[in-house]
Amino acid sequence: MRSLRALAVLAAALMVASASPGAAPQSKKKNAAPETFNGKARVTSGGSIADAYFSVQIDQYTPDKDLKAMEQALQSGGSDGFVQALKKAPVAGHLKIGDKTFTIRWARQKPTDKGRTISIVTDAPVYYVGAGVPEAKPKAGYDVAVGQMIIDTAGLGDGIIALAAKVKPGGQNGVEIQDYATEPVKLVSIMKVIS
Amino acid sequence: MKRIASRLIAIVLLAVPAALAGAQAGATNTAPESFRANGQITGAAGGAASEMVFKIDKYSADAEHDALVKALKDGGNAAFLEALKKAPKVGALTINKRTIDIRWARSRPEGTDHRRIAFVTDKPVFFAGAGAADAKPTAGYDLAVVEFTIDSVGLGSGTMAPAAKVKPGGPTGVEIDDYSGKRITLTTVTRVMK
Repeated sequence: MRSLRALAVLAAALMVASASPGAAPQSKKKNAAPETFNGKARVTSGGSIADAYFSVQIDQYTPDKDLKAMEQALQSGGSDGFVQALKKAPVAGHLKIGDKTFTIRWARQKPTDKGRTISIVTDAPVYYVGAGVPEAKPKAGYDVAVGQMIIDTAGLGDGIIALAAKVKPGGQNGVEIQDYATEPVKLVSIMKVIS
Repeated sequence: MKRIASRLIAIVLLAVPAALAGAQAGATNTAPESFRANGQITGAAGGAASEMVFKIDKYSADAEHDALVKALKDGGNAAFLEALKKAPKVGALTINKRTIDIRWARSRPEGTDHRRIAFVTDKPVFFAGAGAADAKPTAGYDLAVVEFTIDSVGLGSGTMAPAAKVKPGGPTGVEIDDYSGKRITLTTVTRVMK
């Protein structure tokens, strides 16, 4: 149940960001790209825990026209259509974990009472959490990663990320996210890098 | 470092049966016994830790040990695996909610108050790194090998190859190839008090 709620939050972040007419704080210099956030991704399961340091570098927030093109591709072409449109979108930044770098092609921010919510989508899966178990399910179809960071006015925050996900049309918001993992990975101790 | 760890386990696997038999008869602590272990592995991105329980009902008899060594020498990993699966269950490894059977376990004395214990499961426990998008195939890594040293108080440490294949070769006659190329470190192993 917790997992479903978390995924619904992720899905809402994707859609609300582009649908909200007030979702344009990008002109505010304080929260404008380029900007970088560092943090730690944490997975817990039973008696196991795994931590990995990450860095999200936003070069530019995705323009509305590109977001709308991807939303339309999702509605008309489903998950495959969305992935195709995503891969055609301009590079918005990069997600780095360890020695691997992934391209962000969806980056959006939305103001909140205490700061802002940033949603990102990479054009490739980052990691299939749970795939190390011998009876793991197939990886096919989980072609992107979807994350959300909740950042306060001081530049600190936390969030969640589906490291390997399917984005599908449906649900209350018009978009559903199916995570390969049993529940999204937590993003903790996020800090905006002061340039 | 990987090679050193491989050799440590390999030496335990091929230890002289007569010496092992004597050790098991003379040991203060022997099966059935259980151990709690904390495993850790680190990589470029970060690290992972997990709790495990090793329950050993009995240590493998010399005849069972000899049969496995012969299978490995004569038929390599495939024959070893076949023989392992035919061997009687001698214990179980539990990680989170999963339990994997142990079908080979040996213990031998080391120094004045330590024991070196090694065991092999009949299935892999975990493919470390298999979640990467470009991960290599997991086929062929069909078992797990665990080795640790424990003192007379019941405290120790060791290593684990969570998904491995064995093959004849090397200085000791047996080489262990782990899927990830990096062992899990058993930072603490504690014998469970009865």
